[in-house]
Amino acid sequence: MNKKPTKNMSIRSHIAFLGFALFLLVLIGNLFWLQIVKGEEYRLKAERNQLSDTIVNAHRGTIYDSNMKVIAQSASAWLVYINPSKITTDEQKSLLVNYFTENFELNVETIEKKVNKNTSGYEKIVGQISNDEKIALQAFIKEHKDQKLNMIVGIDPDTKRYYPLGSFASTVVGFTGSGDTGRAGIELKYNEELTGKAGRIITAQNALAGAMPNDYETTYDAEQGHSLVLTIDEVIQYYLEQQLEQAVEENNAKYAYGIVMDVKTGAILGMTTKPDYDLNEPYTITSSKVLEEIEALQDEKEKSNAKLNAQYAQWRNRAISDAYDPGSVFKVFVAAAALEEGIINTESTYHCTGSIKVANYFQHCFHNTAHGTQTIAKALPNSCNTYFITLGQRMGKEMFFKYFEGFGFTEATGIDLPAEATPVAGKSYYPVEKMGIAELSSASFGQTFQITPIQVITAVSSLGNGGKLMQPYVVSKVLDENGNLVSETTPTMRRQVISEKTADLMCSLMEEVCISGTAKNAYVAGYHISGKTGTSEKLQVPGKNIASFAGFAPANDPQIAVLVAIDEPQGGSTTGGGVAAPIAGRIFENIMAYLNIDPQYSDEEMAKATVTAPNLVGVNADTVKSKASGFTVKVIGNGDKVISQIPSAKQSMPKGGIIVVYTEENAEKQTATVPNLTNLTIAEANRIAVNSGFNIKVAGTTQGGEVLSYKQNIPAGATYEQGTVITVYFRSSVNVAD
Amino acid sequence: MATKRKNSPLNGLLANGSMDIPFFLLLIVIVSVGLVMLFSASYTYSYYNRDGDSTYIFRRQIIFTVLGLVGMYVVSRIRYEYFKVFAIIGAVVSVGLLLLVLVLPEYKPGFKRWINLGFTTFQPSEIAKIGLILILAFLLDKDYKGVTGKIPSKSSIANTIYDFTDGRLVLYKSTTSVIAYGMLIIVFAGLVYLENHLSGTVLMLAIGIVMLFLGEVKYKWFVFAGGVVLIAVIVLVANPTILQDYMGERITAWLDKDFDPTGVRWQTNNSLYAIGSGGFLGTGLGQSKQKHLYVSEPQNDFIFAIVCEELGFIGAAAIIVLFALLVYRGIYIGLRAKDRFGALLSMGIAFQIGIQVALNIAVVSDLIPNTGISLPFFSAGGTSIFILLCEMGMLLSISRSMRKKG
Repeated sequence: MNKKPTKNMSIRSHIAFLGFALFLLVLIGNLFWLQIVKGEEYRLKAERNQLSDTIVNAHRGTIYDSNMKVIAQSASAWLVYINPSKITTDEQKSLLVNYFTENFELNVETIEKKVNKNTSGYEKIVGQISNDEKIALQAFIKEHKDQKLNMIVGIDPDTKRYYPLGSFASTVVGFTGSGDTGRAGIELKYNEELTGKAGRIITAQNALAGAMPNDYETTYDAEQGHSLVLTIDEVIQYYLEQQLEQAVEENNAKYAYGIVMDVKTGAILGMTTKPDYDLNEPYTITSSKVLEEIEALQDEKEKSNAKLNAQYAQWRNRAISDAYDPGSVFKVFVAAAALEEGIINTESTYHCTGSIKVANYFQHCFHNTAHGTQTIAKALPNSCNTYFITLGQRMGKEMFFKYFEGFGFTEATGIDLPAEATPVAGKSYYPVEKMGIAELSSASFGQTFQITPIQVITAVSSLGNGGKLMQPYVVSKVLDENGNLVSETTPTMRRQVISEKTADLMCSLMEEVCISGTAKNAYVAGYHISGKTGTSEKLQVPGKNIASFAGFAPANDPQIAVLVAIDEPQGGSTTGGGVAAPIAGRIFENIMAYLNIDPQYSDEEMAKATVTAPNLVGVNADTVKSKASGFTVKVIGNGDKVISQIPSAKQSMPKGGIIVVYTEENAEKQTATVPNLTNLTIAEANRIAVNSGFNIKVAGTTQGGEVLSYKQNIPAGATYEQGTVITVYFRSSVNVAD
Repeated sequence: MATKRKNSPLNGLLANGSMDIPFFLLLIVIVSVGLVMLFSASYTYSYYNRDGDSTYIFRRQIIFTVLGLVGMYVVSRIRYEYFKVFAIIGAVVSVGLLLLVLVLPEYKPGFKRWINLGFTTFQPSEIAKIGLILILAFLLDKDYKGVTGKIPSKSSIANTIYDFTDGRLVLYKSTTSVIAYGMLIIVFAGLVYLENHLSGTVLMLAIGIVMLFLGEVKYKWFVFAGGVVLIAVIVLVANPTILQDYMGERITAWLDKDFDPTGVRWQTNNSLYAIGSGGFLGTGLGQSKQKHLYVSEPQNDFIFAIVCEELGFIGAAAIIVLFALLVYRGIYIGLRAKDRFGALLSMGIAFQIGIQVALNIAVVSDLIPNTGISLPFFSAGGTSIFILLCEMGMLLSISRSMRKKG
């Protein structure tokens, strides 16, 4: 009793401690295994299982046209998800499955599968639902409070991309696919800028409550996407699209594409490919013809392939992705090069016999026309092949290639759009070392190589801006979420191709093409358009053409360049001068008027110019005819004085046109059936119109002989008020081949 | 002595001498780290369960720790010989409470571990642990010669057997005492087992066996006990269903790592995720993610998982080493105690802490089944920390009369 601890006890206590310490060592070893060896694995499992990591998508930037009109915009939407692990009863399941399938057009099986994943804490049901749909869902959840649906269903913010203008500039703007990422066009090219940086809300998802207090949230703020201001002008784009859409229809063409460029900066003011598609419904095939063809297919696989191909076809921005033989449009570059190098001057002459022997075969002018003695001022309007073949041969292939390269035909333009076709030596063009006399000769009038419309218009613009080859661009400004400027595109000159003097000379030479040459159908009185047409045979599709026009205006101070190409036109005329030039002319007319570029009429044009209607309201019925001398006046009613008139005062109308005046308040409007005014000379059209009680306004070309009308803005057969001014378009059918 | 007692009635009661500073410092460090970790681990749970009051659990723990430290000081000032008075009383009270808890209404459905005092709850097994240590220290000290020597038993049963076998079978005291102590341990452990408290049972058995070992019971008995334990473990692991539902399930969940991941294995899996997430250096104090989430009741039995996550392998290992040093210092004090009772009591308490730490960490890191065992000085629990600190007071009291040389 009460003895000191023994030696034995000491030994035993140390044995016990040793055992204890060994056990602790095992524990430490195990911790090492768990934390160091398997640490990463467990950490990932922990994160996956326990954190509710909600991605907060950054608001995708808006795309504006140059007038700050919204082209693409992301609107708030909602995303619905469920937490299947909280589902406890079959009643909850059936409630959810029924609601989701009835309201969101979802597949029953997929929803059932998600509802039954009881180990999962998150299953997305549907995204991009509208605010109304969200409110309805919330009401439904509240209604079934007893089923605790609020513990199961969650609603998160989401976004949806809207394109308020529908198909407007669709092949340029592009659209977004799943996850709000750009799939085509600007949406793709500028995806990073537009997207911004997604934020995250990391929330402790505890097992006790559905609601999570903010104290335990870690929020990484989203960096909102930047907005883009395009160089594209809504109005110009609208004119371009309207004209090209019509062109496809009227010419029964496969495609039509066009570009409008700021000559001085290279900014794209308009760009389209028709037919295109609705950006809000990019997967819907727009062409009813193509749709019918697809529907006719029997094999399902073939069908889905055909559908896919049709989708890609309608998304394709052919103005930058399709390469074609430019044909005669290319002659302007050969002419510019020859003038620059002094191979010819404006006085140099050449005699065209209609054909020329190259190597061991003959090259012909269009329709074998012998153009006779030609200077450059005649050869260009005539689009004389033999002249340019000779010119090319005189330059030699090195010099030819120097300018071929100089005008940018061996490289992509670098426009800020995806999928620009890049020239490949030996494939899309003959490199200088592979070029023989035959290739050089054909190349001199624009055959044997393929270039893109954007390359052509960029090079044509260099002729209009004093010889500077610019880099085309479509985005002018990048703005942050508050509208502050992030960056601005400054026009980039790639190189000086030709001297300013040669370029200015080309402007006037090309204006002559639009006055008396193959592009005379592009003529617009007062607007001094310089241009060149081209008709390129499609080697892959025999007998089919691409009819094109490229030019700029006004000739004395070029501002706007327009390129129009009609792919496989069918019908009366299929040439550039016949099909593309009149379209380009109308586009020029619209744009110049919109840009307030004042027309500068020549004397001859002045004579034909329209007059304005005099104001006849308030004039005595008896004296009205004498007051409006030079017009045909038709008085309606028995009143003393004129109450109203049509055309109204100051409206432009032809000299000697008809004015209908009303003298009674409630006089019945005099109407008549609009006559067919096509295929007539100006005089014939005017006479028929006046006989029916209408006026005409002459539009299009009135020079060059055999000028006939081909189009009227109010269709024949329609009933209109008498006195109405009908715009009638004329074109020449002489010397517009090519 | 007698005259002194007359002068001051407290003179004989008070312990003189200074307490063991290394032990005291180790203890303070552990208690402090424990409190900090408790705060970190509990505030989320507290927020959700106490209507947004994040510091509720921590505040309670602070109050009980302060009370415990006062209790520790008071106890440390009592001469440890007086603890012998409590040996028998303690054992009776322990058994009484263990019986009482079985008949009281269940505080937590399915478990009869807690007695609800209104302002707090306490587990009778906490009292019973120190009760068992005290009574065994008392008995093993008193009966030292009987246990270690070769003295024939004088009990009536021994005499009867002796007579019946004509003196060929002599029952020695070493045998009868060990059987008696064994029975005592089994009574304690058995009552805890009836509480549906498997780890408490294991802990009680372990404390008992260590006490007998330190009390110099003959080695052969431990070979025997070891064999019994081994067989029991093998049987239980092979047939977990023979245990009560809850315990059997826990063993099954330990054996089959994919068993009921959202139920029984939930806590353990998330504990492992927490431990793994810590890596070498940890996520930093207060930075545990798992405590916000699925490590259920992270302030209780699984607080060490949060320690591992926040302090990393380095921190966790350091805390284990701190506990090892504390236990070793407890043994050191025991070996220098004035007498065998002091030695046994001191070492018993030290090993109680040690075993509890080892078992808790083993549970948290999935080395043994999840059976509900708290980490001393870390886990939340007011009465637990109070009783633990009072036990530390006993150890410090013994250290006051330490012989300076072994």
